[in-house]
Amino acid sequence: MAETSTAQQMVDQEMIARIGRRDQSAFGALYDRLSGPLYSLTVKMLGDPAEAQDALQDVFLQIWSRAGTYDPEQSSVFSWAVLLTRSRVIDRLRARGRRLRVVVGSTEDQEHAGATDASTIESAADTAEKNDEPARVRYVLNNLPPEQRETIEMAFFEHLSHHEIAARLGQPLGTVKARIRRGLLKLRERLNNV
Amino acid sequence: MISEEQQDQAALYALGLLGAAEDAAFESELRANAELRDLVRELREAAGDVALTTPSLPPPASLKQRIMGEIAMETKRVVPMPTRQRAAFGWIPWAIAASLAVFCGLLAVDRIRLERQLADTRAVDPLMQTTFFTLAPSAPAPAEAKATVAWQPGRQSGVIRISNLPAPQPGKDYQLWAVDAEHKDPISAGVVRVDKNGVAQIRFKPVEKAAHIKAFAISLEREGGVPKKEGPILLVGTT
Repeated sequence: MAETSTAQQMVDQEMIARIGRRDQSAFGALYDRLSGPLYSLTVKMLGDPAEAQDALQDVFLQIWSRAGTYDPEQSSVFSWAVLLTRSRVIDRLRARGRRLRVVVGSTEDQEHAGATDASTIESAADTAEKNDEPARVRYVLNNLPPEQRETIEMAFFEHLSHHEIAARLGQPLGTVKARIRRGLLKLRERLNNV
Repeated sequence: MISEEQQDQAALYALGLLGAAEDAAFESELRANAELRDLVRELREAAGDVALTTPSLPPPASLKQRIMGEIAMETKRVVPMPTRQRAAFGWIPWAIAASLAVFCGLLAVDRIRLERQLADTRAVDPLMQTTFFTLAPSAPAPAEAKATVAWQPGRQSGVIRISNLPAPQPGKDYQLWAVDAEHKDPISAGVVRVDKNGVAQIRFKPVEKAAHIKAFAISLEREGGVPKKEGPILLVGTT
């Protein structure tokens, strides 16, 4: 996995198993590991730190109550938690009839873009050596073809359907589907290779 | 072999973009296709990685305390049975021991029954744990504005219903505050947004634990809310 090494995944799965047995110390440890990226995601999607904290509380209470349903065959603990978080945030936005407010600018400004595939992988590998996983993922995402990155970000952060993205970009539906699929597969491939 | 169309569907499924009917159809396909399941797992990992591209923001330390506190409250405490001391004399009548064991067993069964009854009652009747607050307008809110808060201290959450409160001017938001006896300043319970008819019904949780709430209030603040109350109070009320 890109985000987590095999060893980290095993630790995560052990923590989830212990949480399923109502182990509060394991829950605290998993909170320490996941709360940073999950909070960042909720702030980005909700645009309101106070509401993001409420959402994160909901998420962790769900992790506590649903740890027993986690299936390692379907995803890593990290991805499970991210997708659970995103789902809860979308529920809140829908319930309140609010428009998505993405307050944090696109990641494109944060990293240099436009490198070739070879240099991308090389630079990302350098970053990986520094054990800076988020920077590594950002770098790889930012070096996807711009149209693929843009489509993935619209789908993931704004939760626009492929139909809505096609309408917004003025592109055929098939093109949008292909961009999402190719972008995600390329992201995995590049992250697995560095 | 996975077709390109299946790959497209897998990517949309991993991002939660399929409708309910498409989801069900795709899940049926998944059950029969191990290769497709592997692909979905890979795509889910990719989707999870996308979250890492957000700028890192640590949550406030108080949030962990709040969540751990809630977990602790929800955790059913299991009281270990006391270890029976071995009798000093081996000839203690077995009948007495058996009677005690039966008595303890009955007590334990009765305790479990009562706990279940209590839990069932609480589950079906949340009103048992609810306190209601009526909020009345204060200038400059319109006289017809009002709000009601249903607060559940055990869950540290509540629902507010607002009516006849016009939407604030651009750049402003209404913010709900809990006035707690143990906190110097009002505790933020989040931004509340009314619809075009001046109505809102929102579930909320204060950002800090509030064990002794005396009142709730709504103020007019900067858009997005503020950590500490700055603006004028529009509605306020006690139980």
